[in-house]
Amino acid sequence: MISYWKKIPEQAKRLVVLAAILLAVFLVVRPQLVPPDFGELGHFRASALQDIVAQPIRYAGHEVCTDCHEEVAEKKGNSYHRNVACEVCHGPAAVHIEEEETDMLRIPRGRDFCIVCHEYLSSRPTGFPQIVSESHNPMKSCITCHNPHDPTPPEKPKDCAGCHASIARSKMVSHHVYVPCVRCHDAPDEHFTNPRMYHPTKPTKREFCGGCHASDDPSVAGIPQVDIDSHGERYVCWQCHYPHLP
Amino acid sequence: MEDIVQHLTPLLKEVSGYIFPNEIELHWGLLIVLYPYLTGLVAGAFILASLVKVFNVKELQPTYRMSLLTALAFLIVAPLPLLGHLGHPEKSYEIFLTPNTSSAMAMFGFVYAWYLMAVLLLEIWFDYRKDLIMWSRKEKGLMKWIHKLLSLFSSDVSEKAIRFDKKSVRVITIIGIPSAFLLHGYVGFIFGSVKANPFWSSVLMPIVFLFSAIVSGIALVLLIYMIVTPMRRKPIDMLCLNKLASYLFYVMIIDFSLETLDFIHRVYESEESIHIISELVSGKLFVSLVVIQVLIGMLIPLGSIAAAKIFKLPDELKKLIYFVAAILVQMGIFSTRWNVVIGGQLFSKSFRGLTTYKMTFFGLEGFLVSFIILIMPIVILYILFKLLPPWDEARQQVT
Ligand code: HEC
Ligand code: HEC
Ligand code: HEC
Ligand code: HEC
Ligand code: HEC
Ligand code: HEC
Ligand code: HEC
Ligand code: HEC
Repeated sequence: MISYWKKIPEQAKRLVVLAAILLAVFLVVRPQLVPPDFGELGHFRASALQDIVAQPIRYAGHEVCTDCHEEVAEKKGNSYHRNVACEVCHGPAAVHIEEEETDMLRIPRGRDFCIVCHEYLSSRPTGFPQIVSESHNPMKSCITCHNPHDPTPPEKPKDCAGCHASIARSKMVSHHVYVPCVRCHDAPDEHFTNPRMYHPTKPTKREFCGGCHASDDPSVAGIPQVDIDSHGERYVCWQCHYPHLP
Repeated sequence: MEDIVQHLTPLLKEVSGYIFPNEIELHWGLLIVLYPYLTGLVAGAFILASLVKVFNVKELQPTYRMSLLTALAFLIVAPLPLLGHLGHPEKSYEIFLTPNTSSAMAMFGFVYAWYLMAVLLLEIWFDYRKDLIMWSRKEKGLMKWIHKLLSLFSSDVSEKAIRFDKKSVRVITIIGIPSAFLLHGYVGFIFGSVKANPFWSSVLMPIVFLFSAIVSGIALVLLIYMIVTPMRRKPIDMLCLNKLASYLFYVMIIDFSLETLDFIHRVYESEESIHIISELVSGKLFVSLVVIQVLIGMLIPLGSIAAAKIFKLPDELKKLIYFVAAILVQMGIFSTRWNVVIGGQLFSKSFRGLTTYKMTFFGLEGFLVSFIILIMPIVILYILFKLLPPWDEARQQVT
């Protein structure tokens, strides 16, 4: 063993010693630094769960607000904002429900708050009420016209674009620009005030489009014609043509 | 909340098409651009150094030690952008204590440590050991002790010991080349393995990263050599410079072909992402990808180096061309990293819209911090040059 060690070149010995020291330090230090309960439940510290449980609760949930703000809660409960929780707008309220006189919540009165949800964005789902804030009654706070707890617009939207902005924009630049929405969709009046309960109709048959595009009627002159029996005969037209941007 | 609102509202105006709500802001910013750039320089400089030892390219001898020290200086800084980006740098050692083998990112610590300790430091140590001993014998005061400590108080300068040094350096270099490939190939792997992102997800990614790394490393050493040598009032070794430029040229050709291959492959495959990617490349990335990366960073340097070689220009003109080409290459490789990291996040996973990236000046993710991180390796390199002069005339004869 000793004779073996002697044969190793001098510089290599020094490296071996250095490496041994580093390794020893690592082996000594590691158990000190790795928490004892690491790995019990997974690749993490088991007691981290307790730490997380011990964190202060910041949100109170929307049900408790009803106890003291019944009027507001009821109003909101019947409005468009019924699914928007109070604390989304007023911030975490766990302290407020304990110390309601001293801990005043945030009240977002500015325009830039509402547009986080309502600014026009083509990725928002169809029918979600959206505005272009630059042109929608600019410079005025939203809450002068819309009660935040019942934001029903003071008058009903003038046209479909108020809620279907993305479709309206597509149609605006399409061949169908002069075909009004209601020519293809029968929209009941209630759809303007309660859109999720009252749905407009949608075309269901090929013949509907054929009414303009496969017609012998001379009044449709200028509308491109197809032979409805042979043109894409096995599909409905909107499987190939997006009706709002054909 | 208000901060977030104020931060995101102006970004919304730059968004085009259809993006998902959590895609407005990029998660990886300038710091993550720096990280592959810096590791690339390390791997490139090291592979250049290996050419001297493994393939015995004699002409490059003057840059051998310089490349090693350059690799070291940049390697020390390379993890800083990551630590800055993740936050809590004080906890970083934990990835060594409890290795998580199922996370490619967590294993980087080991790739890095292996490369730093088992390859770079060892090679430098063996290469400098004799000189450290000779220097410390002559010097006085602090320097003597620093050099003594660095040599681990070794004192054997017998012929046998020096032969052992040389042999060790060769062995380490041979281990080192795959290690350097691993270090930077790994960075490409991280991007290439993101299945959900068609801009990144490509098996070619590690290889393209690797060759662009070698390009940037050679160009960097060429720059350092051309700046430092006149500062020391020494003549530039034209043989060495020509050789460096030739290698730069060859590797750039490979890199360029690989990138073209990747491009053709994508266009031919025409997966559903091709439309949004071509919109990206012809729009938001046009300047940084087509103009800076391909034209300024690749074609112009390639053309000018080729011209310098073909027309047998006078040395002074050649130097100028090499110098400018190397700077352009650095710009090009930096924007390569930019285009991968930033570009890869600019399009929506819906493939129907583009978002935008706004750089801030202050703050951890801002320009200032990145700039400081970019300057740091140069400061470290200066100190290393002082401690371990890489110049030939500093090599000591055994007396
Ligand atoms: C224990 C009763 C109680 C509960 C529960 C409670 N509040 Fe209050 N809240 C009060 C009182 C009292 C005031 C002050 C009344 C006033 O000044 O008009 C107040 C005031 C407010 C204000 C106005 C602050 C201001 O600056 O004018 C808001 C907003 C508010 N509460 C929201 C909430 C929300 C949201 C919840 C549910 C998470 C909630 N409160 C639950 C009692 C309560
Ligand atoms: C869409 C955001 C939003 C939601 C959701 C919301 N609020 Fe408000 N709330 C506001 C705004 C904005 C004001 C300020 C109104 C004003 O100044 O005219 C306000 C004012 C108040 C006030 C004080 C003034 C008043 O009208 O009495 C109370 C109390 C209050 N909210 C309670 C609630 C409670 C309770 C809920 C949940 C049931 C709730 N809010 C949900 C935005 C919201
Ligand atoms: C957290 C997101 C959110 C915020 C913040 C928010 N809203 Fe809403 N808003 C909604 C949702 C959800 C609806 C219901 C949409 C539906 O019925 O499909 C809605 C509906 C509305 C409507 C009814 C549109 C219609 O269908 O006629 C108006 C007006 C409105 N909000 C105004 C506001 C105003 C003003 C504010 C700022 C005080 C505000 N909203 C803040 C989510 C939000
Ligand atoms: C001057 C009063 C006024 C102000 C200020 C105002 N609105 Fe409106 N808002 C209306 C009216 C009237 C309508 C319905 C007619 C229309 O579509 O233009 C409406 C419609 C809407 C709609 C579309 C839903 C629908 O049913 O068409 C949303 C969403 C909306 N407003 C949100 C806001 C937000 C957010 C702000 C603040 C940035 C705001 N409003 C400011 C009067 C106002
Ligand atoms: C107050 C906002 C609002 C206005 C104004 C509005 N819509 Fe809608 N519309 C909606 C919402 C919200 C939905 C989604 C309903 C759902 O998913 O249950 C919808 C759904 C639809 C649908 C699809 C129904 C289905 O069965 O899938 C059609 C078609 C439609 N609207 C047409 C129109 C037309 C045409 C107009 C104008 C004449 C119009 N809407 C005006 C809010 C509106
Ligand atoms: C040329 C006829 C035509 C016109 C004009 C038209 N639509 Fe439609 N629309 C259709 C057809 C057909 C469908 C059914 C598509 C399907 O079922 O996939 C449809 C579906 C819809 C839907 C539900 C599916 C979706 O894409 O979200 C909405 C909402 C809608 N239309 C709104 C509008 C609005 C708003 C306008 C006016 C701006 C309009 N449409 C104009 C033919 C038309
Ligand atoms: C009210 C009559 C009318 C109805 C109903 C109608 N269209 Fe059209 N369509 C038109 C007109 C008008 C044009 C535009 C001609 C022009 O561009 O000058 C057009 C253009 C088109 C085009 C574009 C042709 C081109 O030049 O590229 C297509 C495709 C089309 N419609 C498909 C449809 C489909 C599918 C439907 C059924 C959902 C439909 N249309 C229903 C009137 C109609
Ligand atoms: C299988 C897919 C498919 C279906 C289903 C289909 N189309 Fe087309 N349509 C096309 C294609 C592709 C074109 C363009 C090439 C052409 O002119 O034949 C076209 C062109 C058109 C044009 C433009 C013709 C011109 O002269 O410019 C009209 C109008 C049209 N379609 C209407 C319809 C109508 C109405 C229906 C339903 C009865 C329908 N299409 C169903 C695929 C389809």
